[in-house]
Formats: sequence, C-alpha cells, structure tokens
Amino acid sequence: MTDPTPRMSLGVVLRRPETGSFLGLATVFVFFWIFGGANFASPNGAASWLNVAASLGIIAIPIGLLMIAGELDISIGSMVPAGSMTCAILSGHFGLPIAVGIGAALALGAVVGLVNGLLVVKTAVPSFIVTLGTLFAVAGLLLGLAVIITGTTSVKLQAGPEAKFLLGHFIGGVFQVTIFWWIAAAAFWGFVLHYSKYGNWILAMGGDKVSARNAGIPTDRVTILLFMCSGMSAAFVGLSQAILYNSAQVSAGQSYIFNAIISVVVGGVLLTGGYGSIFGIVLGTLTFAIVNQGIYYTGFDANWASLIIGILLLVAVLMNNTFRKAALSYAPRKGART
Amino acid sequence: MTIKQTLLRLVVSTTALAFGATMALAEGKTVAVIGGKADDPFFAKVKKGIDDATLVVQAHGGTVNYLMLQNYDNIGGDAANLVRTAISQGASVIAVPNWVPDAQDEAIKAAQAAGIPVILYNSGGGDKARELGAINYIGNEEYTAGLAAGAYFATHGMTNVICVNTVPGAQNLEDRCKGVADGAAKNGGASNQLPLPASAFGDPTAVAEAIKATLLKDTSINGAITISAGDANSAATGIEQAGLTGKVALASFDMDGAGLDRIKAGTQLFAVDQQPWLQGFLAVTMADAYVNYGLAIASAPVLTGPGIVDSANIDATLAGAGAGYR
Repeated sequence: MTDPTPRMSLGVVLRRPETGSFLGLATVFVFFWIFGGANFASPNGAASWLNVAASLGIIAIPIGLLMIAGELDISIGSMVPAGSMTCAILSGHFGLPIAVGIGAALALGAVVGLVNGLLVVKTAVPSFIVTLGTLFAVAGLLLGLAVIITGTTSVKLQAGPEAKFLLGHFIGGVFQVTIFWWIAAAAFWGFVLHYSKYGNWILAMGGDKVSARNAGIPTDRVTILLFMCSGMSAAFVGLSQAILYNSAQVSAGQSYIFNAIISVVVGGVLLTGGYGSIFGIVLGTLTFAIVNQGIYYTGFDANWASLIIGILLLVAVLMNNTFRKAALSYAPRKGART
Repeated sequence: MTIKQTLLRLVVSTTALAFGATMALAEGKTVAVIGGKADDPFFAKVKKGIDDATLVVQAHGGTVNYLMLQNYDNIGGDAANLVRTAISQGASVIAVPNWVPDAQDEAIKAAQAAGIPVILYNSGGGDKARELGAINYIGNEEYTAGLAAGAYFATHGMTNVICVNTVPGAQNLEDRCKGVADGAAKNGGASNQLPLPASAFGDPTAVAEAIKATLLKDTSINGAITISAGDANSAATGIEQAGLTGKVALASFDMDGAGLDRIKAGTQLFAVDQQPWLQGFLAVTMADAYVNYGLAIASAPVLTGPGIVDSANIDATLAGAGAGYR
C-alpha cells in the first residue's frame, strides 16, 4: 500500500471539493464585513446568521443526503409546523409532559418519513411527487386536526426549564442552543457519510441506483431510513422552535423547502445526485444564512434585499462549480510530487 | 377537553362536511367567499365568522362556497382567478377581499358584468367599494388602522418606529405601514418600513434576527410593529436578543394567544385589532340578505376596526380569545 495521506500543498487544497464552498462563504462574509460594519462581525452579529443557519442546517443535512442518493423530500415544509404543532398541542393545549410532546413530534416525523420512503420505494413514483403529495396531505391533516382539537391555528406552549435549557435557550444571551444540535447533527452525519459503509452506499445510490442494488446495497432500506431521518429532523426543528418561541403556528415552515435545497446546492451537492459532502452542506447553509441576514447590517435599502441575495448566491455557486470542475477533472500523475 | 369529546367533534365535523357537499347540489343561492389560507391564524377567525354565518345562509336554503388561496405568493392574481372560478361555478353573490386592486378589479368587474353582485371584505376599503359599485365594504381600513398605531406610538413616546413587513408589496400591508408612518409623523414621530424577503417568511428565527440586526444598526429605534401576530412572536425574541426589552416597544397588527399574554405581562405595548370574526360573519350574512331579500346596510363602509388592545382592555379581550372569537 502506498502512502494514502494527500500531501498538503496549495494545489491539493484548492482541489478539495469543499474549497469552492469555502471560498463562496468567505466571499459573502467579507462582503458583509465590509458593508456591514462592526455590528456584523460582533458576537451578536454572528449569532444572527448562526441561529438562522442552525435550524436550517439541521434540515439541510438529511435533505442533502437524500439529494446525494438521488431523492428529494419537500414534505419537510409541512413537517416543521407539524412537529411544532404536535408538541404544542400535546404539551401546551392538553398539558401533558413536554417529553410526550417531543416524543410524539419525532414519532410523527418518523411515520411521515416512513410513508414517504415506502411510497417512493414501492411505487417508483419520483420522490418529488410523492413528497409533494405528503407536503399537502400533512398540511391539510394538521390544519384540520388543529382546528378541531384546539379551535385555533396558533397554540401557546410554555415549556419547563429543562426543555427550555436543552432546546430553547440562548447561550450568552444571543446564541440559540440549536447551534449545538446542528454541530452534533453535522458530526453524526459526517461520520455516517464519510466513515461508515452507509456513506458509500448513499453515494453509490445517487450515482446509479440499479448498479448499487446489483452490487448488494439494500437501496430500499437506505432510502426509507433517509426519508425517516429527514422527517424527524424537520419535526425536531419544529418542536424546538415551538419551545423557543413559546407558540406554534400551522402555517410556518414552507420557506424551509426552498431554503434547504438552496443551502445544499450552494454547498456543492449535485442536483443530479451522487456527489457531495456534509462539510460542504454546512458551508452552504452558512453562506445562505449570511447572505440572508447580513443584508440587515448593511446600509442598503431593504427593498433590494432579494436582488442582493440572488446575486450573491449565484456568485457563491459559480465559484463552487469552478472549483468542483477543477477537482473532478484533475488526476495527479502516479508518483508525481505536487 | 377529553379525547372522547375530541373524537366526537371529529366525527361530527366530518359528517357536516359530507352534508355540505350534498347541499351544494341543491337549489338555492350560493354565496362564494374568497379568502386566505385557513391555516393563517388571522383568517382562521374570519373563517369562523364565515362558518357561523353559513348557518344563516343554510336556513335561507342557500350554500356557502369558501374558495381558499393555496399560498400568498401571488395573492392578487390568485384571488382574481378565484373570482373567475366563482363566476364559472355560477355563484349568486361573491364576497372577496380586494388585496391587490390592480390585479383583481378586472375580475370583480367581470363578475358584476355577469350579473353577480360583489361585496368587498377584509381588504379594499370603502372608496374602492364605491368605485366598483360593490354592495358595501366590511372590514378594516388598513391606512386608518396604521394611523391609529402610529399615533399611539408617538403619543406614548416612541418616536422612531419600524414597521416590519414580511410580505412587501401586498397593498393592505403597505397601507398599514404607510399609515403608521403618517400617524407617527402627525404626532411628532417617524416610522420606516422594514421589508423582509420571501426567504424569511415563515421562518421565525430569520425574522427575529432581521429585526435584531436592524435594531442594533440603528439604536435610535424605540418602537417596532409587525404586520401579523405570528411575526410579533419573532419580533419579541429579536428585541430581547438585541438586549433592548423595555427600550423598544413592541406592537402588532392583529393578535394571537402569545401576543395577548405579552400585553398582559407588559412586554408588548398594544395590538391593533380589526375583529376578523365580524368581517367573515357580516360579509356572508350581508351578501346573503342582499341577494335573497334586497337588504343592504346604509352605512358604508362598515368598519370593524381599528380597535386598540392594550393593558386597559386586555382582560375582556382574553375572554373573547378563550372562546375563539378573537
């Protein structure tokens, strides 16, 4: 066996798949540092985009894995409010212990994920359509049940100190505890994708599902598991928001669909599947959050916010693609010293 | 409420749904109501008024057909399409909020040309109703509500107010923020709008952080008003995160349980209420009375707001909220 450790030269670093994502992130950060002034770079300013990135990131990672495996889950747009409403109705409206609300919300996420996964696997209908169906189905079910059970679409929730500490408090007064859940999720998924057999399976499934199955990969089981994880992640974000904001609304969450997909793509995952990394998705989420929140620290008229967001995201993705091409097309000569 | 009662209500409402579908086939006047998503906490109360009014319509042998927007991405165009849907379904009378007059006026005129009277509710205003020849306008005048909010801020010492708009471009919300600005200006204050992009809509953290950043950037801001009750929950967190609780007064257009609790606790200054239940109830009953019996209220417009909910009347309001009417 030859020396497996890559030599750390500039050329090798530049050809890492994450380099493009990182440069995209650095570009937008410097942009807002220049135009945003001292407040943007302060801890409170950092909290602005870290808090937004954290809840988005927890959802974006399993969505990214699904996209790497060649699938898509847009039912998360309903699962976020379903998670928060389930928790708020059980623990707020009925006054059950918060653990019951949390458990039920996660279980609901798992069940919806299971339904998504089974439908995708058994019917071979594209997952975009299947999850589009469950997106509306869950939204309708949620609204109907919420109105029948509580008579309203916005439910209060006063969580106890333990739940607040774990899921809904601000560290140092500004950083949401969700950031640590995001880090934990990233570490867990990073291990799964890059160091466990499941990682290679997921990448192989996105590359060519039929070959992957022929090679003995249990593609059905992995697909179903991934859908369950994305459902549970969305429910988790929902319930932690309910605990953090002391209330849950039926309608919140649709923007997560698009925002999560954007973060994943900015993070270098191919829309066609088969390529991507957890670190890249994390960087993509951070980029998206900085672009979205940084604007409020600048002196620009907020009417132009969407324009600037659009242009900066394009710049970030173009930079990413340029470097990914370099990374994919370059192969070091055998024995070459770079 | 016990689980048993809940199940019973589930069964009852499912049965009612099935009955409603059957009745739509029967003879009688059909009141078509175009409205917002029922999962929008505000429109849920309008819908409750519509549902209560449906009993009256049914007593007169008619039916109510609620045509709901699926989302608010293209609110004017979608509402105009729903008006045309109501025309093609042969509605006897149409109740519709005129959210984006430029997009909807044409469809409303088409309905009138087809001999279907139209009543405006929730959005549009009295002038628009008169211009279009609608039966009446029932609801809030957003600009007037904004004026009241701006004046309340300024007379209570908040002289630099931001109006947080999570759906910039919608006429009723623009009017609210313009009213706040004018109301504040008349009383020696000032107000600017903070429009948020669509990518923040529905993400409470994104809204909270945007408000926090704005407050940190401009430390002279001492008041914030949000265009919806849900956004006020985000704004409360944003103000707290900026370390400005007590320095930046919070207010909201419309209200929900968490907002009422804040007013009770003193962490929110006030809420501007437009009594949505009345809008839904009156729009449908008046449309029904007009199309069946030619009855019409002489006062025009019929204003259901603005009402200010603050520490002075919070207890009575909480009682109404408990019953699901506010």
